[in-house]
Amino acid sequence: MNGQIMGSDEAYNFVFKVVLIGESGVGKSNLLSRFTKNEFNHDTRTTIGVEFSTRTVQLNTFTIKAQIWDTAGLERYRAITSAYYRGAVGALLVYDITKHLTYESVERWLKELYEHADPHIVVMLVGNKTDLESERSVPTEEAKDFAEKKGILFLETSALNSSNVEEAFNSVLTEIHKKVSSKEVVRGSINAVTLNGSKEETTEESKPCCRNI
Amino acid sequence: MAKTKQGNGLDWGSTDKLTDNGKDGLYGREAEVNGNAIPQEERVDKYGFIGGAQQSGGEATEEIPIEVLRLRESKWLEMLNNWDKWMAKKHKKVKERCQKGVPPSLRGRAWLYLTGGKVKREQNQGRFQELDDQPGTSNWVDIIERDLHRQFPFHEMFSARGGHGQQDLFRVLKAYTLYRPEEGYCQAQAPIAAVLLMHMPAEDAFWVLVQICEKYLPGYYSTGLEAIQLDGEILNALLKKVSPVAHGHLKKHKLEPILYMTEWFMCAFSRTLPWASVLRVWDMFLCEGVKILFKVGLVLLKYMLGSQEKVKACQGLYETMELLRAIKPQYMQERFLVHEIIALPVSERDIEKEHHTQQRRWKETRGDLNCKSPPRMHGAKAIMAAEPPSRQDLRQRPTIIVESPLATKTGVLQADDAKRGKNGKDWPKTTILPPVETVNPYPSSSDPLPLLKHMTLQESKESLSSAEHDTYL
Repeated sequence: MNGQIMGSDEAYNFVFKVVLIGESGVGKSNLLSRFTKNEFNHDTRTTIGVEFSTRTVQLNTFTIKAQIWDTAGLERYRAITSAYYRGAVGALLVYDITKHLTYESVERWLKELYEHADPHIVVMLVGNKTDLESERSVPTEEAKDFAEKKGILFLETSALNSSNVEEAFNSVLTEIHKKVSSKEVVRGSINAVTLNGSKEETTEESKPCCRNI
Repeated sequence: MAKTKQGNGLDWGSTDKLTDNGKDGLYGREAEVNGNAIPQEERVDKYGFIGGAQQSGGEATEEIPIEVLRLRESKWLEMLNNWDKWMAKKHKKVKERCQKGVPPSLRGRAWLYLTGGKVKREQNQGRFQELDDQPGTSNWVDIIERDLHRQFPFHEMFSARGGHGQQDLFRVLKAYTLYRPEEGYCQAQAPIAAVLLMHMPAEDAFWVLVQICEKYLPGYYSTGLEAIQLDGEILNALLKKVSPVAHGHLKKHKLEPILYMTEWFMCAFSRTLPWASVLRVWDMFLCEGVKILFKVGLVLLKYMLGSQEKVKACQGLYETMELLRAIKPQYMQERFLVHEIIALPVSERDIEKEHHTQQRRWKETRGDLNCKSPPRMHGAKAIMAAEPPSRQDLRQRPTIIVESPLATKTGVLQADDAKRGKNGKDWPKTTILPPVETVNPYPSSSDPLPLLKHMTLQESKESLSSAEHDTYL
């Protein structure tokens, strides 16, 4: 069934789960709120547990429901991440361009990501807070080179002034869609789309909106 | 949009003045919703929240008649003055009174006594000052500073960057990292400390935080977060008996407890419930221990997912998570919630039993627990039994005392002539009891020789705040 509406607000072809990861205070929660609600707050409260939000976007002819997950960045919260990563097909690994330390932990985050998430997960390195250019401590070129070396996407954003936020998410979603289109999608898969074609966690319910390619 | 400085650290020198006249609280700088700036002036509610934050919309809060409140206050003052006796012999009554709700004027003090924070403070005099004076380790300080403006930013106490509230929050959290360097700082401690600071000064808040982290919820904030994961499993196991439908639904959609109960438990529901309910829950939690948190969780799960009709409406993991994130106000309403908590038949024994089961399962599936937390104390009575205080520890120490004209009659101290002359009235005849501690949030660092001596008239039939008893100089 193609994009049939049955009891949901809008028709969509896919649901892509994307996770936001990175050190505490880099701006994950504001990237989430900027993208899904066009909101920004200097005093967004500390994320404890899991926050999430969705937004439906049009990619060419497809309607994608992006399910964005956000969690605490502090080191000790990594102990509870496996449930968080389950079913994720995309990840935004965020650092703060004004705090070099947050960039230095990117390697560790990548390692953590590949340990817990789908090996084909689409990753984008995001240097946030470009509105604070005067306090920059991570050169764009350096981060760009690193991303290239690691085979991941890269963009610099500002959740505060919205710069590149749409682009970042849309880029990741487009890339996910490309991967999904090139492989077989599991019939009946609802909340997650895996990229390796193997049987995913599915609940075989009659929820519509998954399109088989 | 103007470039706004993020503010990585605190600049004590220039406290941000976000309000012109200090009357209304404001948000942090330039917050915007849907691209529009939030209006600068919003009303502050009786708890200190701006713009209706943390209240369930528009419903009447439970208003207790003043006479009842005054009666409760005098009862609580009596209990606090004889705390050890009440806890030893009439604990059931103490528990009942906590269930009814501590009178707001005595809440801070009640919490201090219930948690054993008072005893800890007395037995460690000067310790907080010591910790407060130290600079703290830079990595923890950095992380804490990042969080100061992110706790209850819509509460007037914490809305100003570098304001007293944030300063005290910093002091308390930093002190903890020095007190327990092996534990360090965990982000969920900040909202806990913030709630405490809304009711008591920094030093008291520090000792209560210590008690919560070590006695009530040991291991919650430690590396590995094992304790919270374990409690998630316990919650899920208890849910099976309380609401098989809810339990079945969560199981079917593989919605692990850690995905919905983390913030609930780690913040003791302070970020979930309307404020009136938070306070009632904490009154009971600090008296009876963690089982109250379990009960709240079970009640919410039961009412949100406890029937076929309700679970039919959420078809998947994500939808269920969304539902649990938006609990219907009627289930969080003060009176309803408290009633349900008291009615739910879940005991400490049930929790301990399940704890053993889950611990065993953990060892089988995940190996040994890394963090060996001490066993938790199920409430005030257990804590007191484990750390028996001396009479001296419990004695209330007033920091402001005002002489009463009745002093000569009771043979205490000379009355202040100027004061007597001021009113020219006859003071009512009442019994004078030991001075009641009036907490001074900003004690001077010099030797606190009180300029005023204040005797409150505790057994007076009159209102304690009556103007007739005005003994201020």
